[in-house]
Amino acid sequence: MAVYILRRITWAIVASLIVLSLTFLLLYFTPDTQLTELQFQAAQAGNDPERVGEAYERYHGLDQPIHVQYLEFMTNMVSLNWGWSETRSQPVTTALVEAIPYSMMYAVPSILLSTILGIGIGLYSATHQYTRGDYAATAFAFFGLSIPDFWFAIVLLVVFGGMLGWVPILFDTSVATVSYANVTQLLLPVTVLTLTSVASLMRYSRAEALEYVEAAFVKTAKAKGVSDRRILYRHIFRPASVPLATILVGDLVGIIFVASYLIEVVFGIPGLGTLSYRAIVNQDTALVVGTVLVPTFLTIIGNLVQDIAYTVLDPRIDYGDR
Amino acid sequence: MTQDDPLLTVENLHTSFHTDDGTVNAVDGVDFTVRRGETVCLVGESGSGKTVACESITQLFKRPPGEITAGSIVFDGIELTNCSERELTDIRGARISHVFQNPQNALNPVYTIGWQLLEAIELHQDVSRAAARAEAVELLDRVGISEASDRLEAYPHELSGGMKQRVMIAMALACQPDLLIADEPTTALDVTIQAQILRLLKDLQAEYGIGILFVTHDLGVVAEIADRVVVLYAGKVMERGTVYDVFETPCHPYTRALLDCLPGRGSLGGIPGSLPDPMAPPAGCRFHDRCPDAVPDCSTGDQPAFESVVGEDHEVSCLHYRTAAEPTVLESGVEPRRPSERTDGGDTHD
Amino acid sequence: MSSDSDSRRNTFEDVDWDEIDDTARPISHRALAIASAYAIFVGGVAYDVLLAPEGDTIASLGLSLQALDWLYILTLLTLVVFGLVPLSEHRRMTAHYWNQFKKNTAAVVSLGYLLVVFAIGSIGPRVLEKPRVDARNAYQPPVFTSVESWLPVDCVGPVVNDRCHGTWAHPLGTTHEGKDILVSVIYGMEVSMQVGLIAAFITVTIATVVGISAAYFGGWVDTVLMRYVDLQITFPTFFLYLVVVYLYGGSLFSMIVIFGLLGWGSIARIVRSEALQRREETYVLAAKNAGASSSWTIRRHLLPNVSNSVITAATLLIPSLILFEASLAFLGLGDPTVPSWGGLIASGRNDLQYAWWISTIPGVFLFGTILAFNFIGDALRDAFDPRSGGGTT
Ligand SMILES: Nc1ncnc2c1ncn2[C@@H]1O[C@H](COP(=O)(O)OP(=O)(O)O)[C@@H](O)[C@H]1O
Ligand code: SF4
Ligand SMILES: [Mg+2]
Repeated sequence: MAVYILRRITWAIVASLIVLSLTFLLLYFTPDTQLTELQFQAAQAGNDPERVGEAYERYHGLDQPIHVQYLEFMTNMVSLNWGWSETRSQPVTTALVEAIPYSMMYAVPSILLSTILGIGIGLYSATHQYTRGDYAATAFAFFGLSIPDFWFAIVLLVVFGGMLGWVPILFDTSVATVSYANVTQLLLPVTVLTLTSVASLMRYSRAEALEYVEAAFVKTAKAKGVSDRRILYRHIFRPASVPLATILVGDLVGIIFVASYLIEVVFGIPGLGTLSYRAIVNQDTALVVGTVLVPTFLTIIGNLVQDIAYTVLDPRIDYGDR
Repeated sequence: MTQDDPLLTVENLHTSFHTDDGTVNAVDGVDFTVRRGETVCLVGESGSGKTVACESITQLFKRPPGEITAGSIVFDGIELTNCSERELTDIRGARISHVFQNPQNALNPVYTIGWQLLEAIELHQDVSRAAARAEAVELLDRVGISEASDRLEAYPHELSGGMKQRVMIAMALACQPDLLIADEPTTALDVTIQAQILRLLKDLQAEYGIGILFVTHDLGVVAEIADRVVVLYAGKVMERGTVYDVFETPCHPYTRALLDCLPGRGSLGGIPGSLPDPMAPPAGCRFHDRCPDAVPDCSTGDQPAFESVVGEDHEVSCLHYRTAAEPTVLESGVEPRRPSERTDGGDTHD
Repeated sequence: MSSDSDSRRNTFEDVDWDEIDDTARPISHRALAIASAYAIFVGGVAYDVLLAPEGDTIASLGLSLQALDWLYILTLLTLVVFGLVPLSEHRRMTAHYWNQFKKNTAAVVSLGYLLVVFAIGSIGPRVLEKPRVDARNAYQPPVFTSVESWLPVDCVGPVVNDRCHGTWAHPLGTTHEGKDILVSVIYGMEVSMQVGLIAAFITVTIATVVGISAAYFGGWVDTVLMRYVDLQITFPTFFLYLVVVYLYGGSLFSMIVIFGLLGWGSIARIVRSEALQRREETYVLAAKNAGASSSWTIRRHLLPNVSNSVITAATLLIPSLILFEASLAFLGLGDPTVPSWGGLIASGRNDLQYAWWISTIPGVFLFGTILAFNFIGDALRDAFDPRSGGGTT
């Protein structure tokens, strides 16, 4: 098992390096918009765009051969020197560190809520298959799965912020993290994010639990005289938690990153999503790369955690095969 | 209590499943009894309602869609059909326990054998952890698992099919039940293991005096283990009697057709034809479209009434049992319960 | 159940793909028709690329086909050849699936809705003029509703009690730029259908080829392909799109191609594992038909067996593609020349308090379309599930 976990960790590192290398190649072969801009300005001011270009390249080390640039890039990346954000006039890592707490403020409660709700409702659905409660849960899941989150967010904002005035329309960064004002302004983001992420979790846990509701070993447990409640927790939920762990980390992470990107833009929360969006709009390449690498690395770590969780939870796993 | 005291009396049992396509009357008016210390075999082709009949006793089948629509099940003076789910939970495993057909999935894959045995013990007995553990080791030992205390830490996937079935039996015996229901416990196992398990069951029965309701579609197994036999077809009882009577003087054409399928007997490919549609069983005798002895009367009215025939409590539901009855089995050399070493005849898996 | 064995014989597994795509055999009329359809397509592309004057495909008809349109035609052609043709030729199979499918009312309604959206989205942009900016026409409310009369510059409908009422001239109202919302929504239908169908087509093609190759050839081919898939799946798709769109710009064509080229990992995995399950059987089969070529084995045996899961996975993939495109357009990172629903929603965002309809209406269509695909995907999964076919014991 130790060997297996070590192999997964190695793979995570290799994957990270590959991602970084690809990023380098993408950047290397893409025309630098800042350079084009500079040359354009130079040409308009009557200077020689060629010379400006050379100066720029020398300054940024772009006149070096590719392998030197590559090594330099990788060293910087690994040592967390992710470059300078031109538009924010601060190091990219500083900008990231400042933004992350705002993302976590609504993402963490939302992950907790959707995990509990998703698994709870899913188990209920599975054990009450084809009852009215199950149909209601299924309808709710389809609603959450299908509603475009950014659209739902603006509709909610207009209804509860604009028309009813229950929550503020503009996100206020000056309020204390633990304060009533902060709770009200995070209410809608948490709702939207939970709705989108709870749906797939619900469907998965229902399907997984259903596999086990009919399982022979559940009948064995019943024949032993185990109560329904204990059967649900000990004999259905516990084995279902193995595949669920996969979905929890794998799927949820994916959904949350995408959804939060749009949610932050809609609600004006200055987290990672907004940072990335601004960077794209303002053509701040270093910052764009930084804000995209964070979710990517988190996904890689998520996959790693999921693999390890699997080995801990499932005694049957065959290490040789993976 | 005497040996003849009925431990379990099932009368006029009806169990139905309500599905999208219609209602399946899987068990359609079945009577039988099990006494202490005896083994009663339910036999019949796959799909004839044996499993449903067994699982009706402590209501293990899925509800809904399943439902006991009529009948009475009296266990040691308790009417089980009137019991609440709580009362049933207290009886299951403690007084009536089950062993299922396929040991492959019958144990929870994420818990150790020990965990699952301890659960069975601690659910119904107020004992300390250490005492329960000791008991678990003893149980495993008793069902013939070597190095029992090490095996407690094993996960189900680390055991063979036969081992798993032994664990299942150990679990079923954990609380010294009065009745053991074994639903094709050997069908999924290979022939040598099958013989060992049958022997184990017989020994345990002799030791604890439990009543066994044993389900099989294999008359070879019946001959080895049964005291009395109940032949089921399409949810109804066709014939019942002592194993000796049923094998010596089988009165029902269906019973005789089953006996013909024993190895070394005439018919090889099983009984021609198939079970009737469970949603719309035919009128008259349910066996009539496959019966070689059928006459026009067989396809009208209800299932023929039971009539007593030679032997002790030997009954048959057939219009023409008398003309059909011939002592065919004696000629073949298949003798019930003698010699008891008989282990062949186990390969008519379905 | 007795009918079970019969009905099992009427599934995709039994479609004789040889009849459909094997032109090497004695040529049937069908094969000829299909081959010529693809030949005409290739000819058309060749003509457009090599001979046609810049920008015009057939100048006399005013017809100008872009790369995107050609790809869309190819997608639809393939959908017909590999979807509708087998369905119409294998009536029993079609009836079997239809009977399973129609148990799910929501899915049947969804199918109807999508067919209508597809039809309107295909015809509408051909006959309706592209919505134009017309400041004097801005903020017209939808018909049967009204808005305070100061909002529209020039109320087209009647003004009663200081409220401007909507008219049939703009049934769904207009945007802040005076664009007609109904027309924009109809244009958006085509965009969404193109995104969903073309990208899914590319995805499924690559996933099937990769998955089957990995399973069939095994060994290092399998290792390399699946390692790549591992890597691709690790990278969150949305952010990959984001970077590529940022670096290379977001024309609808490039966006669709990127979606198609980068999102096939998980379906390839499904295809591989399904195909692996059949490999044993295949060996037996190949031994029996000594001399059977590998292409024969793949076509005759591996392809049909994975088609069910691929169809289901593709149906469930389409809504997420449509949502991705809408999200990018909403962020303003989409194709600015294309009237996408996401862009329309974004355009009404700042006016939501006064002019609720601009963002709401296209959102309803987006929601409905995604919901419909999800319902259908769910119903297909049930219909293809062998366990749902007949009696279960
Ligand atoms: N959950 C269920 N739903 C519908 N029908 C069922 C269900 N369980 C059993 N049946 C039906 O009851 C009949 C008897 O099944 P069963 O008792 O399992 O047969 P046996 O154990 O004799 O092989 C079969 O026709 C089967 O289709
Ligand atoms: S009643 Fe008739 S059909 Fe039924 S078993 Fe007897 S002879 Fe055969
Ligand atoms: Mg059975």
